[in-house]
Formats: sequence, C-alpha cells, structure tokens
Amino acid sequence: MSSPILSVRGLTKKFGGLTAVNNVDFDLPAGELHAIIGPNGAGKTTFFNVVSGFLRPSGGRVSFNGEDITGWATHRISRLGMARTLQIKSVFNGLSVYDNVWIAAHARNRFLHPLRPARAYADTAAVVERSLEAVGLAGRSPELAGNLAHGDVALLEIAIAIAMRPRLLLLDEPVAGMSPEETERTVLKIKELSASINILLIEHDVEAVFKIAEHITVMTQGAVLCQGTAQSIAADPRVQEAYLGVPVVAGSTDA
Amino acid sequence: MRIVGAAVLAAFLLSAPWLLPKFVAEFWVSILAEMMIWGLLASSANLLLGYTGLLSFGQSLYFGFGAYGVAFGITRFGLGVVPSFFLAVAIATLAAVIAGFFAVRLTWHYFAIITVVFSLIFYLVAVGWKSLTGGDDGLSFALPPIAKLGDLELTLLDPTFQYLFILAVVGACYLLQWLVLRSPLGVAFTAVRENATRAGLIGLNPYLIRLTAFVIAGFLAGVAGALFALFSRYASAQYMYWTVSGEAVIWTIVGGAGTLFGPAIGAALLILVREELSGYWEHYLILVGILVLMVVTYAPKGIVGSLQARRAARQ
Repeated sequence: MSSPILSVRGLTKKFGGLTAVNNVDFDLPAGELHAIIGPNGAGKTTFFNVVSGFLRPSGGRVSFNGEDITGWATHRISRLGMARTLQIKSVFNGLSVYDNVWIAAHARNRFLHPLRPARAYADTAAVVERSLEAVGLAGRSPELAGNLAHGDVALLEIAIAIAMRPRLLLLDEPVAGMSPEETERTVLKIKELSASINILLIEHDVEAVFKIAEHITVMTQGAVLCQGTAQSIAADPRVQEAYLGVPVVAGSTDA
Repeated sequence: MRIVGAAVLAAFLLSAPWLLPKFVAEFWVSILAEMMIWGLLASSANLLLGYTGLLSFGQSLYFGFGAYGVAFGITRFGLGVVPSFFLAVAIATLAAVIAGFFAVRLTWHYFAIITVVFSLIFYLVAVGWKSLTGGDDGLSFALPPIAKLGDLELTLLDPTFQYLFILAVVGACYLLQWLVLRSPLGVAFTAVRENATRAGLIGLNPYLIRLTAFVIAGFLAGVAGALFALFSRYASAQYMYWTVSGEAVIWTIVGGAGTLFGPAIGAALLILVREELSGYWEHYLILVGILVLMVVTYAPKGIVGSLQARRAARQ
C-alpha cells in the first residue's frame, strides 16, 4: 500500500465540556473512496472541520500528502490540494455558474492579475468547461448560482471542487436533502470521480454509502468504532447497535 | 446599447465646457466637475460595498488625507500642483494600507464601526491640531500654475482647463476600476463578497483580497480628495467627518451598488437636487431622505442596478 494521503493521529476537538472528536487515529490510503458514517452527533462534521482548517484541534496532528497541516488556515490547506463541500451547500450565489467554477479553477494561481481580463485565460477556461461537463452543468453557465435547484447547487459545489484539481476531495453529506433521482445522479457522479480523485465522504444516507464506498469508517460519540469493507461493516453488530441504540441479538437479520 | 450609452456620456462630458453655457449658467460646468469628484468618492465606497461586500463609513478619511496632502504640498513644502497631487494620493493610499491592516480583519457591522472610529479619530486630531490643519476653518491656498509653455500658461484657475483636468483624472480612475473589475482580482472581490467561507475553501485568502480592495478604495478616495482641494483651493477637517462617508454610501445605494457608474449617477442626482432646491427650501434634505427611502424600497438595486436587471429580464 502506498503512503496515506491523509493521516490523523490522536485528533481531539473539545467545545467547552463537550468532546466532539476524541483521540481519533485515521489513515486514508491513496486511491480509495472512503466513507465515514455514524449517527447524529458522532463528530463526523467536526472531524472534517478540523481536517480542513475550519477549526483548530484541541490536540493531535493532521498530515496531508506528507505535510503537517495542523492549525493551518483553510486557504493554505486548499492550495495544498484539499477540496471540500459543506453540509449546507455553499456556493457563490450572486455569481454565474461559470464564474463560480472559474474562480475556483483560477485560485491556484497565487497571483491574481489586477488588470488582465479574466476571460483571457484559455487554460482556466478549459478547466471550467471540463469541470462543468463532468457534473452535467455545461449548459447552465450563464445562470446565477442562487437560482439553481438544490440538487444542481450540490453538483455545482462538486464542480467547484473538481476545478481545483484536488488530491483529496472531502464531501460532507453529498446527497442530503436530495430527491431519489437527484441522489442516484449524484451517487453516479461521485463514483465516476473516484476513478481520478481520492474521495472521503460523510453520509447519513447509509443506503447510498453502501452503493458508493469501498471502505467505511464508523464513528460514534467522537471516536472511531470500527473500520472495514462495506460488507464487513454491514454485518457488524456493533454498528447496528450504534445506529439503533439497542444491542442486536446475534443472528437477527433485520436492521 | 451599453457602448452607445458610454459614448453619449463621454461625448457630453468632453464637450460640457462649451456645450453647457449655451443652455444654462456657466457655473454649471463647475458643478459638473464637482459631481465627478464626489462621484469618484462614491465609487470608492462602492468598490468596497458593491463589489467586496464591506460597508465602509470611513472613506472620507482618505478623501481628507488627499485634500490635506495637496494643501500641505503647496503651502508647507512649496511643491507644484502635480507633485502635490501625487504626494496627496500617496499619503491617502498609505493611510489606507495602515488602517486596512486592522479594519479588514473584521466584517459586517464590526467593519463599519471600525471605519467610523478611524475616521473620527483623525477628524478630532485634525480639528484639534489647529496650527497644522487650520481646524474647522481649514487651510486655504493659492494655486501655482501647472506649466508654462511660452505665453501659454496651464493653470487650474482657467475653469475650462480645470474641468478637463478633473475629467481626465476621474476618467483614468474609472478606466482603472473597469480593468480591475473584469480581471481575476475583480472576480475574486465578488467571490469574497458572495461567500468568504467558500472563497477560503477554494484557496483564496479573503483577508488579503479585502485588504487589496480597501487600499484601492483608499487610493480612489485620495484622488477625489486631492482633486477637491485643487478645485476649491482649500482643505478642511470637516471633509474627514464620517457623515461625508455616509453621503458616499447613500449615493452608492441610490445609484446602484455593484455597478461601475451607478454611484457617480447617484452622486450627480443628489447634488443636482441640492443645487436646485437648497436655495428655495432650507429643509430640502427631507426630500432627499424621501427619495432615498423610495429607492431603497422600490428599487433596492439602485437606479443603474434596476435598469440592468430589467434589461437582463427582457433577454
């Protein structure tokens, strides 16, 4: 196995008396689509927030692509090649779909030219076209992002992430609030993307997760409960207990 | 449509010193020059509010620095008009770098408040330090000529030359804004305005981008202040007061925040109202207040913003 793209050691985040993430060790090998599942309040989003630089950890280290990024600002982490979507979909509402993706594609050029027309960058334009095509929004370029339907906003957010050409993509509940058709479409896109980008996702919709992910980590109460392939997780009684809150009698098949 | 409108405006502004006196009293040329100066101050507030999402009530501070820069250059250092002008703009821009370093750490109302506070501090210093600034009375000065070419003397005392000088400088500032707003930096301004969190997540540094906008805005306000001092041969602390910044914000909102020419049109309109009405009715500001309320209620995008939205809806 190659060295992990993301490696977390002893990661802890406390909010006052509440320990949201408790001493988590986690390795994400390169070339994998990995999902983190767990009941409400398990600390999944807080884990993402610490990894992506939204929050400073109370303890522990995060290293990404071999670099220690503990406590870095979000824009520095993202320049290193980590892209992220948010649980509450977050795009530039007042900008066109095209400009949303354009600025993401262009932001890796650290110098923002103050006088050259933005439209003059052929390489950036090519990345924008490709990213919009990858999520199926190519025909929607001139529309305001704020006027898109919820499912399309989620796809736009993914297009923004792709345009950054990241090494690792963190998806926070990518199918939350979607209709069954939108969910199916998005799941398909994520699977396609995982061929070229390392993806780590959090999801509540367990059914969707088992369709996508090869490997799954289960979190409860801020800690890692268990880790394994989709089948082994589905069969693990501890997981069922964590979700249902009651011990499952051995041999019982309904969950 | 857009190009035709710009061409008509440019033709009108270029020919105004000869065209206007045919129809109205000659002092309207001066009023038009003043409108352009205040319009430039409004565009400074607009670059922050309309494009970067920062509500500044402190642009008068850099306007004041620009005005005093010219006054000091001419009276204290014995500099000519052009060197004083560059000195003034440099001082105003430097002041914006220093103030911006602290101010753009904050956003929303905290940012608005800190810009007022900076403005008030320097206003009180300027009022109190009478020996340097002239306090409330201000500093008056005589304008040296810009250049002598044989018998021909270029001087701002010639109203037509003064008007064209102001038009050229303001025009250059608008060209600069136009270039910046369509550049990658301009797109980054609007990205930070729309969603600073997302901007950070795609690798933009919102702090640096806000600071850049703040410094450019300070530069524009400084140019406006320097022009105003040359225009009125006078600099005074009263132009540093935060209500002057407030007027710039109102002009911006009335004309259309986030549009290139909206703020200048808002400024021109409200100065026109002032010129026409203040002679007849001392409480004319009531009417200005009603006008602002109407715009905010029925055309929240401002005059130019609403026109643009209507045109976009028809397409």
